[in-house]
Amino acid sequence: MRVNPNPMPDLLAALNQTQLQAQEAELEISTGKSVNEPSDNPIAAALLIENNDQATFNTGYLQNLTTINGQLSSADSTLSSVQSALQQAISLGVEGANGTLSADDQAAIVAQLQDIQSQIISLANTSYQGNYLFGGTVTATPPYVADGSDPSGVIYLGNEDVNQVSIGSGYKIDINQPGSQLFSANGNSVFLALNNLILALQSNSGVGTAVGALTAAANYLSVQGVFYGNAMSQVQSQTTYLNAAKLQIAQQQNTLAGVDLATAANNLSQSQTDSQAAMEAISKLSQNNLFDYLT
Amino acid sequence: MSGLFGSLSIALSGLAVSQQELETSSNNVANASTPGYSRETAVTDPGAPVVYGPLTIGTGVVLEKIESLRDPILEIQLNQETQQQSSLNAQLEQLQQMQTQFSSATTGIGADMSNFFNSLQQLSPDPTNLALRQSVLTAAGNLATDFNNAASSLQTQSSNLNLNVVQDVGQVNTLTAQIASVDQQIASLENANEDAGSLVDQQTNLIRQLSGLVDVQVVQTGKGGIELTTSNGTALVSGGQSFALTTQVGGNGAQQVMAGAQNITSSLTGGSLAGTIEIRDQEIPGILNQLDQLAAGFSSAVNAANAHGYILNDNGPPTLGGNIFTTPPAGGVGAAAAMQVAITNPSLIAASSDGTPGSNGNLANLSAVANEAVANGETPIDFYSNLVFQVGSTTSNASADVDASGQILQQLQDQRGSISGVSLDEEAANIVQYQTAYQASARVVTIIDAMLADAVNLGVEAAVQ
Repeated sequence: MRVNPNPMPDLLAALNQTQLQAQEAELEISTGKSVNEPSDNPIAAALLIENNDQATFNTGYLQNLTTINGQLSSADSTLSSVQSALQQAISLGVEGANGTLSADDQAAIVAQLQDIQSQIISLANTSYQGNYLFGGTVTATPPYVADGSDPSGVIYLGNEDVNQVSIGSGYKIDINQPGSQLFSANGNSVFLALNNLILALQSNSGVGTAVGALTAAANYLSVQGVFYGNAMSQVQSQTTYLNAAKLQIAQQQNTLAGVDLATAANNLSQSQTDSQAAMEAISKLSQNNLFDYLT
Repeated sequence: MSGLFGSLSIALSGLAVSQQELETSSNNVANASTPGYSRETAVTDPGAPVVYGPLTIGTGVVLEKIESLRDPILEIQLNQETQQQSSLNAQLEQLQQMQTQFSSATTGIGADMSNFFNSLQQLSPDPTNLALRQSVLTAAGNLATDFNNAASSLQTQSSNLNLNVVQDVGQVNTLTAQIASVDQQIASLENANEDAGSLVDQQTNLIRQLSGLVDVQVVQTGKGGIELTTSNGTALVSGGQSFALTTQVGGNGAQQVMAGAQNITSSLTGGSLAGTIEIRDQEIPGILNQLDQLAAGFSSAVNAANAHGYILNDNGPPTLGGNIFTTPPAGGVGAAAAMQVAITNPSLIAASSDGTPGSNGNLANLSAVANEAVANGETPIDFYSNLVFQVGSTTSNASADVDASGQILQQLQDQRGSISGVSLDEEAANIVQYQTAYQASARVVTIIDAMLADAVNLGVEAAVQ
């Protein structure tokens, strides 16, 4: 068969091909990515969108965990302060139940208990970054206001609602407990028990019963307060989990779009060699033909 | 006729034919790199013999014709593959341009949607925080802007393609006019039984160029005449006449290709014109439609979720939320281009589910849009990531098709070269052969001359030299 006497277009096409490959390898090396356009790997390009979504959410969840951890620990330490104030009140109550105190001492105890009462009101009105922690979802105004006409000495202005925050895909936790379930719970209100103790001391009757009721209310509060400890430990373990997931997501991203530098460098030098060979061939081409030998 | 004069005439025919052959070769060498040139060869025959009783005596050599070596079937295949290749190339070029706006996973519509949902999550621990609320609106604004940008750059691309269509049609008309004029010249030559070799080459070359633009089919009408039509039968050249195509702005604002009163836009199947139209009328509207679906579905779902909750309204009565995004157009057409954030006051994000400012209950509803089937039964991110896959895979398929078609074309061109290409080695060898033949014939003339002198001088050598 007669051969095509002009192989130049073939050689130029081959040269073009090697130069394209070199360009691709250079792009991969310079960007550090093997998927620079969706057409480089359509499946990976689509998965990278999902991967970025996961990464964004993961970062967001971790940020949320930091925020709510601050809020939860602030609430938790507030409850501890309330608890120690209550223990102090109980001791004072026990002292007052003794019956051998002078009227002055009795009055002094009542005054101390009143101080404790206002201290607890103020603690129950603790806010974190401008939001009151124990008013349910009423966070803009203090949940408790002293009110002598109420049997418990306070009125609750918050509501019964709880806010939830997502800390993972499909994983939500409650981030607050309304004061009505902590301090002024029906049947276990520390405010009512404390006020009753003050009234009992003032009337000097039923002090022992009042101390017992306050102790029960304090215990109830301490049981309810476990919520915050639990929530913080959930936050802790979820933080650990999300940090591990973050690594995984980054690894997945690298698997999808990362460049194996050794391979890319090898491809580059291979295509450069190919390109040189093609150019060599072109330069050698038609240097000689039969006309050169005619004399 | 015989005798010395007979031999002289035979030698002369040899001289003449050798010269003709040399001329043919030299023409081949001169056109060795002329595109579309088909090498020519001199076809010779022995002269008609003279019969004398039992003897048959030769009368030299006759130049029958100068023939161009080409394979008409191969030329047709080359035309078809050129049409295919040009169409694919035009598509690939546009697809590559189109896919750049889908190339980043960390910016653009997909990332914007992720950021929007993330901003809602960030708001949930502190739903009254105005800075966090503002960042939800900012994220919503970024998303709307990127939808707008994507839609507008697709529309710009589409209107640029209209220019390509008009230009291509203009070139088609120039080429068909040239082809018609060459066809007339060929017809007049072929009628006179003359060789039309290089004119046919010229015409073949023009038809090849035309194949780069449009799906042209060639029908030989005999006597060297041709008829060109598009593959759906629209006449381009017939009987030495060309029929110009025109362009006209259609109802959708796109340039339509017209043959007379007939709109042939959607029936074109090859050449860059068909590739351009495919992208303009199929691919771009397809992608735009999906962006519209997503923008409309997303806006409606977010608006619906916002309407379930209560806005931040410290002093007033609990008030339900309104639209975060402007209501998408009915049917969704143009939703991506029209998408806009409807509110500037961050308090209007309805985070609360119970009317108290501190409630974040409705943020869960807003966030749930991320897992809602907002378009084509898919979640926003899934829908978008499928769209990216689609764009990528269309582009990568087009690229593979271009490569495959390019290889076929190259092979066909090699094949054409092996039949029609000028080989300098071959021509050199032929020229040597013709030179030798010419020298031999000339030598024969000298010898006959000497012999004639012998005859005229009756053996005395001196008189006639």
